[in-house]
Amino acid sequence: MSDAPALVVENLSLAIGPAGLVDGVGFQVAPGEVMAIVGESGCGKSVTAQAIMRLLPDAIRQTGGRILLGGRDISAIPERAMRAVRGQLMSMIFQEPQAALDPLTTVGSQIAEALRQPLGRVRGEVLRMLRDVGISDPERRIDQHPFELSGGMCQRIMIASALISRPAVLIADEPTTALDVTIQAQILDLLRRLAIERQTAVVLITHDMGVVADIADRMAVMYAGRIAEAGPTAEIFAAPRHPYTALLLASIPRLSDVPKSKLAVIEGRVPNPSEFGPGCRFASRCPRADARCAAETPPLRPLGAGRLTACFHAEPPHGTQP
Amino acid sequence: MNTLEITGLKVHFPGRGGAPVRAVDGVSLSIAAGETLGLVGESGCGKSTVSNATVGLLSPTEGSVKVLGTELAGASRETLRAIRAKAQMVFQDPVTSLNPRMTIGEAVGEPLLVRGLARGAALRDQVGALLEEVGLRADHAGRYPHQFSGGQRQRIVIARALALRPALLVCDEPVSALDVSVRAQILNLLVELQARHGMSTLFVSHDLAVVRHVCDRVAVMYLGRIVELAPRDALYSAPRHPYTKALLAAVPEPDPVTQRAKPRVPLEGEIPSPANPPPGCRFHTRCPIAVDRCRSEEPAWRAVGAASVACHLA
Repeated sequence: MSDAPALVVENLSLAIGPAGLVDGVGFQVAPGEVMAIVGESGCGKSVTAQAIMRLLPDAIRQTGGRILLGGRDISAIPERAMRAVRGQLMSMIFQEPQAALDPLTTVGSQIAEALRQPLGRVRGEVLRMLRDVGISDPERRIDQHPFELSGGMCQRIMIASALISRPAVLIADEPTTALDVTIQAQILDLLRRLAIERQTAVVLITHDMGVVADIADRMAVMYAGRIAEAGPTAEIFAAPRHPYTALLLASIPRLSDVPKSKLAVIEGRVPNPSEFGPGCRFASRCPRADARCAAETPPLRPLGAGRLTACFHAEPPHGTQP
Repeated sequence: MNTLEITGLKVHFPGRGGAPVRAVDGVSLSIAAGETLGLVGESGCGKSTVSNATVGLLSPTEGSVKVLGTELAGASRETLRAIRAKAQMVFQDPVTSLNPRMTIGEAVGEPLLVRGLARGAALRDQVGALLEEVGLRADHAGRYPHQFSGGQRQRIVIARALALRPALLVCDEPVSALDVSVRAQILNLLVELQARHGMSTLFVSHDLAVVRHVCDRVAVMYLGRIVELAPRDALYSAPRHPYTKALLAAVPEPDPVTQRAKPRVPLEGEIPSPANPPPGCRFHTRCPIAVDRCRSEEPAWRAVGAASVACHLA
C-alpha cells in the first residue's frame, strides 16, 4: 500500500463516566480499501465508528487519541467545522436504512441535500448516482418517498447520498445486517465496486465473519474495547494468531463442517467495563492464559506481513521475521 | 405415525385494499419421530407463520395440521391445550420470552404447575433438574431474568419448553438474536438435547449454515410455498431449485478463499408482495433461468433424485 492513508485512527480511547469503553484503538485505511472492524456486542466497534464521525452520545467522552482525515486531526476541531467534514469528506451509512432516511422527503431531494443543492439544480447528477447504485427506473424513483421502496433499495439510496459528494472515507455500520441474504450479496458487491471505482476508504463495522471474508481487504478483531488482532483478511482467516480470533472462527457453523458436530465454545462471558482488570481482558476465558496475562496488558505488537496481535502467547510462525 | 403432519396449509390475513395477504399458501410437510426439519427462507416467505400454526397460535385458513395424529384446525380449546403440551415453542428473543417479574424457577416450573403435574418439593426438584439439563445451576432458580446474559436466558426458555417433555419442539430463529460465540453454545445444546430425548424439531431460520448444522431434512420456502424439500446432504450438495441455488450462493462463508471464488447467482429485484403473488411460478420474476412456461403455468411438485421440487426446469 503505497497510497497515503485516507484515514488514520491513533490510540483512540473512549469512556463513559469512570469506565473505559475503548482503549488505545488504532488503524489506518487507504483509498479504495475496505477495512473491517469485527467483534461481538459490546466490544466497542460501533462507538469507535461514532467517535470517528464525532457523533458520540453525550455520555461518552473521547479521553485520548487522534483521528486524522487526509493528514488533518479532526478530533478537536469545532463542531461547526466538523459539519463541513461530515457528508463532504466523510460519510456514514447505518444498519436500518428506512430509519436513517427522512420519511417526508423524496429520495432525490435527500441525495441532493448531500451536495447542499436544491434537487432542480443537480437532478442529472442525482440520476447518474441512482443508476450507479443499481436503482432501476431512476426517473420514477427519484421523486418517491422512502416508504415506497424496499429495505434493499433504501440501503442503495443511503449509499447514493453518502457517496455523491465523493467523500474520502465511508463508515458503514452493519450496512447489511437488516437485509436478507440475497439482497445482502447485492449490497456487498455494490460497496466493493464503488470503493474501488471511487477510491473511497471504507470502514466496515460488522459482527459477521462471512461479510468480512467477502469484502474486507484488512480487518481488526475487537474484544472488550481493544484490538485483539489485526491484519490482512486472508491471512487472519487462514491462521488466526490470537486465541479469541481462533475460537470465534471455530464457533461458526460452516457449509463445510460435519453436521451436528460440536462447535467450539468460548466459556464464560465478556467482562463489563467496571470489571476490567490490569491484564489481558480475554484472560479469564482464554485456554492459554497464565499468570502474566492476568497481571499485564499485552501490547498490540507486529508479527510481520502487516499482522498485529495483542497476545503474549502468539508467536510468529517459524521462519518469518517479526 | 409422524410427529407433525401438515397438509395443504393456507394461512391468509386480511390485507389493505381487499386482497388477502397469502402468508402461507399451500404448504405440506411432515416430521418423523426424532427428526429435525429445517424451514428456511427470506423475510416474508411465511416460515414463521407455519411455525405459529404448528403450535396452534394461528388457525389455518385451509388445510390440516396434525400433531401426533390430532387435528389442530378447528380444534376445541381443550384439544388445543392438550396438544400444546406436546408441541412447545422457543422464540427468537429470549428477553421478551421471559416475564421479568417471575424468577426463572417459577418460569420453568409454570407449565408443570398449571397442568397440576408437580408442586412443592417435587416441582423444585424437577425445575432444578431442568436447569441443570440446559447447563444452568439449580440453585439459581430464585434469580430473575435480568441477572442472566442473553445466551443464559435462551437456555432458560429452552428449559421451560422441555418441562412437559414435548414430542415436538418448534424453534423460530432460536439463535438469531445471539452473538456468534453464544450461538455456538445454544446450537451445541439443541443438538445434545435432540440426541438425548429423541424429540422431533421444526427449526425455522434464515441462516442456511445454522440449518445445515442441526437439521436432517430441509424445506426451502418462497412467497408462501415450499419450493424444495430434500434430505440435508442432497439439498446442500446438489440443490435443484434455482431459488435454493441462489440462496446458497448468497450465504457469505467465513472463509475468504472459498467465498471469493464462489460463483455469484445474482437475483434480480425484490420479493413480490404476498397479497399479489405473480402468476405461474411465484419465483419467475427473479429467476435467472425462467422461460415462458414459468410465467403462466404453476410448476407441479415432483421428485427429482432425493429431492422434491416445484420447478419446471429442475
